Amino acid sequence: MRSSPRAEPKGTGEGKSRVGLPLLFWRPFRRRGRKEEWIAALGFLSIGLLLIVLFVIWPSIRTIWFSLFDSEGFAGVRNFARLFGDREIVDLGRFLRREPPWGALLHNFVWILVHLPVSVGLGLILAVVFSKIRSWWVGIARGAIYLGIVTPLIVGGVIIRFLFDKHAGMAPQILGALGAPTPWSAGWTAYPETALLALVIGSIWLWTGFSMVLHSAGLSTIDRELYEAAQIDGASELAQFRYITLPLLRPVTLVVAAMTFLWELKIFDIVYVATMGGPGGASNVLALEMYFSAFRELDPYRASAIATLITLFSLPVGYWFARRRLRR
Amino acid sequence: MRSWWRVLGVLLGVSVLFVGAWAEKLIVIGPWSGAEADPFVAVLDAFKAKTGIDYEYRTMRAEDLSKVLPAQFSAGMAPGDVIFMWGWWIAKFADHMADLSAVVADVPFAYVDPLVVGGRTVGVPYVVFVKPGFWYRKSFFAEHGLQVPTSWPDFISLLKRIKAIPGIEDAAASGDGVGWPLSDTTEHFILAYGGVNTFLGLTEGTIAWESPEVRAVFADYLVPYLDYASEPIEWTSALDLWWEGKYGIYFMGNWITGMVDDPNDLGVFALPGAKAVTGGPDIFFVPKYSKRLEDAVKLASFLMSKEGQERRAAGGGKLVVRADVSPTAYPPAERALMKALEGFTLVSDMDDTIGGEWQATFWDQLKLLWVKPDALDDVLRVLDEKFPKG
Repeated sequence: MRSSPRAEPKGTGEGKSRVGLPLLFWRPFRRRGRKEEWIAALGFLSIGLLLIVLFVIWPSIRTIWFSLFDSEGFAGVRNFARLFGDREIVDLGRFLRREPPWGALLHNFVWILVHLPVSVGLGLILAVVFSKIRSWWVGIARGAIYLGIVTPLIVGGVIIRFLFDKHAGMAPQILGALGAPTPWSAGWTAYPETALLALVIGSIWLWTGFSMVLHSAGLSTIDRELYEAAQIDGASELAQFRYITLPLLRPVTLVVAAMTFLWELKIFDIVYVATMGGPGGASNVLALEMYFSAFRELDPYRASAIATLITLFSLPVGYWFARRRLRR
Repeated sequence: MRSWWRVLGVLLGVSVLFVGAWAEKLIVIGPWSGAEADPFVAVLDAFKAKTGIDYEYRTMRAEDLSKVLPAQFSAGMAPGDVIFMWGWWIAKFADHMADLSAVVADVPFAYVDPLVVGGRTVGVPYVVFVKPGFWYRKSFFAEHGLQVPTSWPDFISLLKRIKAIPGIEDAAASGDGVGWPLSDTTEHFILAYGGVNTFLGLTEGTIAWESPEVRAVFADYLVPYLDYASEPIEWTSALDLWWEGKYGIYFMGNWITGMVDDPNDLGVFALPGAKAVTGGPDIFFVPKYSKRLEDAVKLASFLMSKEGQERRAAGGGKLVVRADVSPTAYPPAERALMKALEGFTLVSDMDDTIGGEWQATFWDQLKLLWVKPDALDDVLRVLDEKFPKG
């Protein structure tokens, strides 16, 4: 059946290459061509847009602007050059020798490298496993895992601190009973070798629920007939997962991965509460370094440069995410 | 329809009453909570009874206030009427503080002076905390036949004897807040074995942390002590563990007297050879944006009056700043402490005086040193690098 010209106007087709930000506004209105709808839409959006401009866009522009200055005046990109020469941000030498601290930026990258695949993968596996089990405890288990995501991160940080505490912590106690040496049997957050790892493990617990819930929702949209057909064809459980579940959940997995990446990049609360970036900067991250610059050093320029850096790193993912939403 | 109007009227009335009651209260913000706040709240209650001015006490650490206040000041606002904050921070934001010169005009200060910037009194020391040394339970020492050390070898020998006691995890507990109890311990070592001049030189930035005399204090005294000290443990947990007998001694400030079950079982000793101890004031300011400036000044005057100071002294845990408050105003534990401090010079706490990012770095580097004593040279280098320039 052919689409009518009105339903598929010239120049606003669904081709991927032409999808972009302007379409968000243009497509529906060009299709309908009604000025009143424009006015009504702007009316509805105006308060929200105004708030976004005032509290997101304007402060962002100011922050970027500030990052180009220092206490002596215009500094261009000098603040950024200083950041990359600062051992607190990047210490490649120690990183290569595997002696923490490696600098806030590298800590963020390590965090992403470990946390992203584990929390996304674990959430996916849990969602699939729970979807296959029909038992009374599945709901409880789901709820318990999801608890991490509804727990305020400040509280999460306190829990992590005690989870890895020498006396109260489960992990050091178990490892100590198994004969593990210090620091594994001591307070993980007190030692530079284990502090970052403790935070990453704690954050996996906090975030896996998010991945699990989104994947569970994605699973419920997959047509059961696909699995039935595969079973008739003799496909194993693993083959069904590999060739049906994984590809059909791909959009959800990508969204979860993008959100997780952004969350990891701006991680602050749990570090602030559990270790304050220590000991000796071994668990410092960019957002905490920004905080120290702004509220301890009282240096808004360095803090703005770090904030801009975080924005620059998150921009590609944010852009991809926005494009994806628009395409849908 | 009429019933709707009634409901609306009642809601409006309740809202007005609620907002009115809320707005009437004088907001006091301090760092203490729980048992530590009780003596201060008792003073506020006395103020309320005397003047009829109602108050609301809110707990906020200086760390948290430092995030809130700059933005509020920029908007010409303040979250409270009387606020306790770091001294170095008050000095940096002096333009936003009300002048309290009249409040302190007749106050005979004993340990510290008010914070004056540009001829205006912007911060008023209310109480003083002292870090007198290592606390022990008299019953624990008596049970195990332990004596207060009189020399450095004595001190090491004491640590060895405590560590050998069955059930003891480490001779000394190391409390960790965000690192500050470790800084207190370190400052005590510097004062005892580097001397007051070295201590003041480090505070003022005229002596480097990597200088031989400072390094010697760390290498010859602090690092050997760390062999007998626990890793940093959250300081209130450490207090409980020490009190239960998992550790023999615990370095902490005098506020500990208000936090243990039996203050009369407490004993304290400074490191052998120490002639000075560190201490510092809890300082308050009144923001010039206070909506109840007059009442805030009234409260400030009451807090600094002889009556207000005597009431606070009776609560224990801190020493008040007025010189005319008699030692008999204090509970027995504080009286004993004052006696123990006779002959000692009180020096301003180093990290609180320097403040800023260096303070956080100092805390953090000491947390590293505590678990990695072989990182001493790195720690000293970072402390030099991070010291405020100019």
